[in-house]
Amino acid sequence: MESFKQNDGNRDELIIQQQREIEKEISDTTPLVSEQLPLTCLWTEYNGDDIFTAKIQDLSTKYKFIRRTRPDGNCFFRAFAYSYLEYLISNSSAYQEFRKLAEESKDKLVQLGFPSFTLEDFHETFMEVIKRVSPDNPGGQSKVQSELHKIFNEQGYSDYVVVYLRLITSGKLQEEADFYQNFIEGDFTIEEFRHQEVEPMYKESDHIHIIALCTALGAGVRVEYLDRGEGGTVKAHDFPEGTEPRIYLIYRPGHYDILYPN
Amino acid sequence: MLKLFKKPKDKIPKSEIITEPKEPKTPPVSKCGKPLQLDNSRWEASIHPSRRLHKELMSLIKEPPPGSYRGHRKRTAKLIRVSTDYGAEWKINIKGFEGTLYEGEDFQLLFKFNNKYPFDSPEVTFIGSNIPVHPHVYSNGHICLSILTEDWSPALSVQSVCLSIASMLSSCREKKRPPDNTLYVKTCNKNPKKTKWWYHGAYS
Repeated sequence: MESFKQNDGNRDELIIQQQREIEKEISDTTPLVSEQLPLTCLWTEYNGDDIFTAKIQDLSTKYKFIRRTRPDGNCFFRAFAYSYLEYLISNSSAYQEFRKLAEESKDKLVQLGFPSFTLEDFHETFMEVIKRVSPDNPGGQSKVQSELHKIFNEQGYSDYVVVYLRLITSGKLQEEADFYQNFIEGDFTIEEFRHQEVEPMYKESDHIHIIALCTALGAGVRVEYLDRGEGGTVKAHDFPEGTEPRIYLIYRPGHYDILYPN
Repeated sequence: MLKLFKKPKDKIPKSEIITEPKEPKTPPVSKCGKPLQLDNSRWEASIHPSRRLHKELMSLIKEPPPGSYRGHRKRTAKLIRVSTDYGAEWKINIKGFEGTLYEGEDFQLLFKFNNKYPFDSPEVTFIGSNIPVHPHVYSNGHICLSILTEDWSPALSVQSVCLSIASMLSSCREKKRPPDNTLYVKTCNKNPKKTKWWYHGAYS
């Protein structure tokens, strides 16, 4: 019994060590957000796989480029933020509207009961990022665009943005708890779900996260699902339903990347 | 689930916080006589870990923890002393609440922060001569509390951890060690974050 327990302790450590190694390998080889890549780069990943090959073919009639995000559990939030800000850079009035909404979001979250002390910190950095990618900044769009790319590959800033979006998502779930409770499986309460599946870093996103975040920010997202399902075509879902998408993402089981329509 | 920020029923103890200002120290000197340089490169993973810690410290001093993060002004935690440089380790004294099994007892918590704080949780253990006897506190000071590992969120803080621990103690109905205490203490890693915790249901 004792030797079994002893092994148990060592096994914990081995598992955690292995996790760390995998995380390190991922962070060494994958940038937080990649350059724009031709969509056809997906071919190489599924070489010889008929289902995926057909689906990528289908996808390439609608999209030209893909931008990869690091698979660290934050990919949805990071991809969402990057893609939306990229859209806002080229749309000044939408940018101003979003900036105002972002500015006011802090007070709303405090009202909802989030600790203003830590929230302030994240909000401050979030606003700093938004200001740094204003379409009115000197140097024009291409300069702001490269600034955005730089910011999102600096772990500090990038992760602060992710945290803030997680808090906004969590706030929305709380605000409309009665509605979102219907989407939660098992015995989780909304409260537990928010603290365990939304607010902590590295926890993967599900539909409920996407719907809550899109609704909170009024930003439409189209997700293209690339999986082994039948049909030979890629299925798309718009969140919230019926909204014109500003953000295009590709979902492969467990991971989101950014897409660029033709 | 642990009910965080549970309000004590009748008396709300006042909280106080006394800081121990560190005497200005001469910089540490290495053997060859040159002053040691602080290694700032440790902080590069995050933009502001030290800024955040500094802010947290200031806030702990200025504003003793309120009873809950829903904005109640009532205070339920007795946070006595913060002694620290702004470095990576803080010791915080907490007192057992009046009207609980730990009334009159003093405990000390050790917080260790790594360079990814606040994205990674702090490592928190009880230290010193009095480790609370509690079903989720091992006799080596390790605490079984989910927000210290997998449920940690960067929106939490030293303050909220102290509150959670204080309320964990307050809601205890019988002073006893965890059932697997002896084995765990013999075999565990020094760092409680290296334990894969299996979180128990209700605190009782």
